[in-house]
Amino acid sequence: MFTRQRLDALLFLGPAVVLMLAFFLAPIVVNILVAFSDMNQTVRFGEFPTTEQFNKLGKLDAEAFLGFELRGSFYRALALTATFVFLTLFIFNVTFALILALTTTAVPERMGAVFRAIWLLPRMSPSVVYALLWLWVVDSTERGLLNQVWMLFAIEPLNLRLDHPMAVIVVANGLIGASLGMIIFTSAIRSIPEHLFHAARADGAGPLSIVRHVVLPALRWPISYITIYQALALLVSFEYIFLIMGPARSTMTMAMLSYTKTLAPGIGGGQYAYGAAIALILIVIGIVVALLMWRLANMKSLLQRPKIEVN
Amino acid sequence: MTLKLLSAATLLASSVSFAAPALAEDVTIDLWSRADKSGPLRAGNIVEAADQLNRMFEAAGSDTRVVINLIETNANGFDADALDLLKAHSVGETPDIMVAAHEWIGSFVEAGLAANLEDHIAGNASMYADMIPALWESVKYKGDRYGIPQDSEIRMFFLNNDILRAGGKEEDFIAGLPAAVEAGEFTMYDFCDLAAEMVDAGAAKVGWVHRPNVGPDFQMAMASFGIDIYNEDEAKLQITKSGLTEYYGWLKYCVDNGSLPADMTSYSWDSTHAAFRGGDALAKFHGIWNVGAQLEAFGVEGEEEYFNKLTWIHSPAAEKGGEPKNLSHPIVYVVGETENKDLAALLVAMASQHVPNTNHAVGTNHTPINYGQVAMPEFQEKGWALIAGTPMLDYAEFMPNHAKIGQYNAITYTGVQAVETGEMSPEEAVEMVIEELEIELGDDVIILD
Repeated sequence: MFTRQRLDALLFLGPAVVLMLAFFLAPIVVNILVAFSDMNQTVRFGEFPTTEQFNKLGKLDAEAFLGFELRGSFYRALALTATFVFLTLFIFNVTFALILALTTTAVPERMGAVFRAIWLLPRMSPSVVYALLWLWVVDSTERGLLNQVWMLFAIEPLNLRLDHPMAVIVVANGLIGASLGMIIFTSAIRSIPEHLFHAARADGAGPLSIVRHVVLPALRWPISYITIYQALALLVSFEYIFLIMGPARSTMTMAMLSYTKTLAPGIGGGQYAYGAAIALILIVIGIVVALLMWRLANMKSLLQRPKIEVN
Repeated sequence: MTLKLLSAATLLASSVSFAAPALAEDVTIDLWSRADKSGPLRAGNIVEAADQLNRMFEAAGSDTRVVINLIETNANGFDADALDLLKAHSVGETPDIMVAAHEWIGSFVEAGLAANLEDHIAGNASMYADMIPALWESVKYKGDRYGIPQDSEIRMFFLNNDILRAGGKEEDFIAGLPAAVEAGEFTMYDFCDLAAEMVDAGAAKVGWVHRPNVGPDFQMAMASFGIDIYNEDEAKLQITKSGLTEYYGWLKYCVDNGSLPADMTSYSWDSTHAAFRGGDALAKFHGIWNVGAQLEAFGVEGEEEYFNKLTWIHSPAAEKGGEPKNLSHPIVYVVGETENKDLAALLVAMASQHVPNTNHAVGTNHTPINYGQVAMPEFQEKGWALIAGTPMLDYAEFMPNHAKIGQYNAITYTGVQAVETGEMSPEEAVEMVIEELEIELGDDVIILD
């Protein structure tokens, strides 16, 4: 029989547990099952279990460094993913977000709020609209917004999607991604006790010294958190890449590869097991990256007790 | 009639049938059709056939009524639609009639979705007796017919004559182009040179454009370079390394001489259409159903004005003396393996008769499925473009009905993209494409040197 306590626990935790199982755990289990099958357009479980899909990504080779050799397209997808995640994360999601947070908290309160609101706009607009605006900006003809400016100084229009595709997706993703870091960093800066700034100034610290010795140490935990969180988000992010670049080879990251092989219309979709295998590898990479960063950032000790004394 | 109207009518019909007394026996036929401006009557003709049948039931004093439940999908193309259809089938939602691109029949049969129509066709021989026999090839899988061709078409190169004139070409040259292509004198390379010449002369902003995504069009260019995509004896897909190298080499040649935009594969459909219909591009690689939009865009009327404005050529031969190619890509009715399949097949047979099919063909610029349609006054009057295109069918290829043709096209397209954007040399692209084909298609593809 249920005791009152157990019943309460069930009532309070039950829905959350069910949601977790249905929306977090079940998809991963299904993904694993599909990845080891040969499910394709006909949506049927034929052979199971089989490593057929993983053989498409790499093959065993005793001569090779790790005992296996990656297929060209997969190796390429890995390299593109690493470049995309690294550049977006460090240039925009962390560094630029930090700059935004520092500058908008340095200026008068109201002005700072206005700037932050502007930086939040892209996140609030539907992704399709945001992508469409980008398509207009980087349009390769003289009609493109960027080219209208560029052509004042140059003769040939720029074709960024063709010549610098990685730059396009990094900037497009970065300008959206920076706002999350900005908000978190801003609130962290706000929670630094005011007297520390006064004390620093009394000791003769300039603005840069204040940032370096007062603000940044207090931001250690939010920076670590944003780095890990955004790294994971970027690993699996593909919507802006797909909307802006389409299934272009030049930006075929792992997440894009998985999408185009399964659900993307008209470009060879329907290979559900193959896409699931790629997604499974992405999950494993995500776990490894998260654990590694957790360790590097020493998150465990950061989580133990608040580093900032709140009055 | 538009599809919207149709679906409204169907909705109305179904709500009426709910209100009707329970005595009447309704047989519901689920009809799956993609909302497509280039063929609203593909579904409409089935609805009309059902109406006809219901009048027969009524006259016979029967309470049975056929209700068409139109499942109108909004997939972005027949490939995406076919995948959705297979998903619906996998959860037991198998429609009774589907409108599909013929090359998916292989997948449909393998999935147990498509009904074998051999008995139906034999049992209703008179309804199909006038069908153009070549079209039956497009619905065969492992020797049996699993679909009824609904329309046909020709894909080719369209050339803008005014650009040729502005570029200094004589009328004789323009008028002689189709014959020069058929004779194998005007090659793929000549075509690119001509396009580049027009760009250099300032007559065109863009030399020529092809579709910006994966699709059947590329198959005819591949055929021009001698790639036989299907081995019928073994029922396997096929690729020739040397032919593929030449084909990619030709694309590189076109990009290098300035006739083909390097970022063609990242164009949108809109900008692709606009480039040709807006008079910026000399040529476009696409299908005959564009005639309607072209008439409108160029502001011309009737056969004479049209052919004064545009020239049609096959995909030229790769080298002098070779054979040009083009592609026909029939859309077909497939009958689902359901309990209503016999009734569904009969409705398809009714919708495939001369009058309804001509309404569709003439309205949307598709070539006919029955020989007799060409003789109909409506065809003679409004179908001039289709009658003009029908002789081109002599050079037509079909896509193979192989379950993995979609994947095959997607992979060979990645090579097109890699070469055009300058990422890879043709040789590197061939190596990459062959490796991908081997990995993804395995035993389903034969690789020839």
